[in-house]
Formats: sequence, structure tokens, C-alpha cells
Amino acid sequence: MFKKTPIAAVAAVSLLLIAGGCAATNTGKSVAPQATAPAAAPAAAPAAPAVVAKKVDYTAMSPAELAEYLIFEAEGYDLKQPTQEGTTGRARLVQDEIQKACSLGKGKEIDDKSREKIMALAASTIKYPEGGIKLGDWKKGRELAWSGYGYRTAHNPDNHAKGTPGGNCYNCHQIATDRTGGDIGPSLTGFGKIRGMDPDTLKYAYDVIYNPHVYFACTNMPRMGASGVLSQAQIADILAYLFDPNSPVNK
Amino acid sequence: MFNKTLHVLPVVLAVVASSNAGSGQLPEEVLDGLIKKTNNSVYLTQSPQNIMMLPDNPAWLVAEAGEALFKQARGPKNASLEQCDFGKGPGVLDGAHAELPRYFADTGKVMDLETRLLHCMKTLQGFTNDDAAIKQKHGSKSDIMKLQTYIASKSSGIPWNPPMQHPLEKAMRDAGEVMFYRRSGTMDFSCATCHTQTGKRIRASVLPSVYDAADMTKAISWPSQRTSHDEVRSSQHRVLECLWQMRYPNIKNGSDASIALISFWTDAARGEPAILPDLKR
Repeated sequence: MFKKTPIAAVAAVSLLLIAGGCAATNTGKSVAPQATAPAAAPAAAPAAPAVVAKKVDYTAMSPAELAEYLIFEAEGYDLKQPTQEGTTGRARLVQDEIQKACSLGKGKEIDDKSREKIMALAASTIKYPEGGIKLGDWKKGRELAWSGYGYRTAHNPDNHAKGTPGGNCYNCHQIATDRTGGDIGPSLTGFGKIRGMDPDTLKYAYDVIYNPHVYFACTNMPRMGASGVLSQAQIADILAYLFDPNSPVNK
Repeated sequence: MFNKTLHVLPVVLAVVASSNAGSGQLPEEVLDGLIKKTNNSVYLTQSPQNIMMLPDNPAWLVAEAGEALFKQARGPKNASLEQCDFGKGPGVLDGAHAELPRYFADTGKVMDLETRLLHCMKTLQGFTNDDAAIKQKHGSKSDIMKLQTYIASKSSGIPWNPPMQHPLEKAMRDAGEVMFYRRSGTMDFSCATCHTQTGKRIRASVLPSVYDAADMTKAISWPSQRTSHDEVRSSQHRVLECLWQMRYPNIKNGSDASIALISFWTDAARGEPAILPDLKR
């Protein structure tokens, strides 16, 4: 791919050095200045960026291959960006089995075999409180249900020392009628009042919050317990918000 | 800020509107046509306030400043941007943004409006990545946003028609489609989580569906004044913010990943007229 002339080789090496220098001084915090790494070396010969650009033939890849390449190999994201859970940006972009199986294109649905596999996989992730599922504090649950804070990184990372990550429920669900929630998910208004509070119903709601794929394979709903965003105690608080007769959800 | 804007606006609007003649419809006329055509799409009509404010869009001030910058000789090479080729020939702006992203032979890359603009500022004007003119990519006061808003305004009313003749254009659009449906991150989100059903809401905000081109043209018509930010924002900024909400790491401005997504969403609005500059929540 590189021409065999020594000049081109030197140009290529100096490009790498410059790119490396930029990477070393970049703290990965709030700025995203060297978005176009090849062009960041104005001193290099004009031909150099073209050589770098032609390194890989995008048209020889399948769309899926190219997508992976753009995400992980083509300086698409800040893969080294620290996350709140102590990993890096790369870990946020690598797919687990459920994410991979559920990345379905237009009009596509999972087949029955995959569905069963996902439901079983989801079931294996759910952990229950030692003393069984009990309702927590509906007031705390209300705070969590109406909070979208936490785990956002990119240009404005959430600081978990300053704010508790929430459950994001309100983004997609109408919950109580005192505030406006979204409607990507079903309405949860009157949840406990309608369903009662027998142990099976409590377990069902706990499971859905913890890992909804156990009943709804490839649902849009996040796995709030399995992903570690919500603790068992926090899920109990949200359950109280949904079931407690004194909660605004059931008023 | 807003008070000042309102005082200056009528004058500026008269000037901009007259200089805009021949290059398409005013944004409010385009939106009105789309609302009628869709029989009051829930997405398009969700904010009566924003519809009312569209004719007095503060983004026109930003476009006006952009026109002056565009024609001014600047940078180490003391050149204007009037020879910049946005795909329809040097200096041709009418309808150019409606046909972006597209493949450019001189760079061998598919570029969107912002990356193409940066390319011209470097090659024609001699700016480097260290210059403030290039470094500052966001906000109504930045050169990049002034210039983008001006250039894009020349595509108002023109149907989105990003070319797909070159194999790279198709490859980027198709990779963008895969990325759109690709789930990952803390909460398993993909773009498809929110943008594949018509009329659904996140909180109180109605979401555009990628399957509805009339909704999509409004959704992707950037630059747009964002009333909640009091700034004009770009396509690149919209990508950044969506991915922030999705719990993804920082996407790099102008990266091929960002352009692939923009290629896909522009293709999803194909055939519907651009609303530029737009005004959104």
C-alpha cells in the first residue's frame, strides 16, 4: 500500500509520530479537537493523507463489517474515555450476546429458537433479595423512576459522586398522572391498583425491571438490574412506587 | 439576548429574505406544506410555539454573519470560500447541502457539510486545526456554525437527494443503517429504540420515525436553532447529543462513523424538502 520510496516511508512515520503525540497529550476529557487525525499533520506532503485514506477499502466490506470498522478502528469514538463503572468507552460499544441478537434491522424479528435462548439467558442473570421480594420506600422509588441521570459520558459525563443514577422509567412510561411520561413503553398508571400485590405479580414486576428479556425477548427496555444500574434495594423502592396504595401511581 | 434579537430581526430578515430569492422556499413555508401534506403529523405539529417563532428564527442572524464570513478573504492564504466546491461545483451553494453527504474525489472521502467546510477552510484559506476558526465547532458564535447555517439556508425547500452513485456513498449509508440498529452500552440503546415508531414520545417530546420521510426531513434539517440551548446546532452536534443520552462514549466530530449515521438519516428523508434553517426544541 505505501510506495516503496524512502520519502513516503519517512512521511508515513512522521505522520504516525504526530498522531501518537496528539494521542499522548489528549486527556480524553471534554475536548474533541483532533477529529480528523490524518489531516492533523499539515506539515506533511499533500499526498500523505490520501495514502492514509486509501489504507482500507470500505467498499470491499459488508455493511456490518464496515460498521464495526468505523466504530472500533477508524477513530470513530473516544474508545479510551473513562466510564463511571471504571471501564472504557470501548466496553460501552462492545456488544454482549443479547445486544448482538437483538440488533435487528428493518422489519426483522428474532426467530423462536433465538427467543427461547434469550429468555433463558435473561433468567440466568436475575438475582433476588435474600429475604424475598419486598416493597421499599415509594418516595425514593418515585425519585428514581423520574430520574434520567447517570452513566452518560460523551461530552458531558455524569458525576455519580454528585447525583445518584436513576431508573429512567419516565422517559418511556406514563407512571403517575401528576407528570408527563413517555409512551414508548406501556402506561404504568394505577399499576398496583389494577393488578393487586400477590407474590407472583411482585416477582413479575421485579423480573421486568431487573431483566425484561426474560418475558419480552429483544424488548426496547434496558436491563436495569442485570446491567448494575439499579441495586436490589433500589428496585424494591421502584416496586413500592408501582404497588404501594399510598403511591401517586395508584391514586 | 432574546430582546436584542427581536429588535434586529425584522431588518435582517428583510435583507436575508431578499438575498435568498431564487434559492428555495422559506422554512416556515416548507414546514407548512409538510404539515398539510401529512394531515397534521404529530411530530411536525408538536410545538405551536416553535411553529410561530420559525419566521423570526434567530438562526437567520447566524446565517447573515455566515454570508459575510463566506465572502470575506480570510486565513493565512487570504482567500474567501467562494471557490469551495460543496459538490455542485466551486461556489455553487443553491441546493448543495440537500445533496450531502457525498463522495469527493479530491479527498477520496464521503463528507458532510461540516467536514467539507473544514476541508475548504484548510485548503483554500490555509487555516489549521490550531486556529480558533476551526477549533470552535459549536455554538452560534462559532465561525463553523455561522458558515454552515448560511450555506445550508441555500437548500431550504429543496428535497433531500444525497447521491448514491459512488460505491463509497452506498457503503457509508449502509454502514450507517447497521449502526442505527446496533444496540450497545449501559442501557442497550440503539437509534432504533426511539426512532422506528410514528408518534411515540420520550417524556413529552414526540419522536421522529426513520420510516417517515416527512418527519425525518424536519428531524435532520440542521443547522437549527435549539430553543432549549439558545444556540444554533449542527448535524454533528445532534449525533453527539443522541449518543450521550444513549450512554455511548464521545463520538469524534467529523469521523466516518458520524458521517455514516448522517448519510443514513439523510437518505431516510430523501425526497422531502429541507427546512433550513430550522428551529427546534
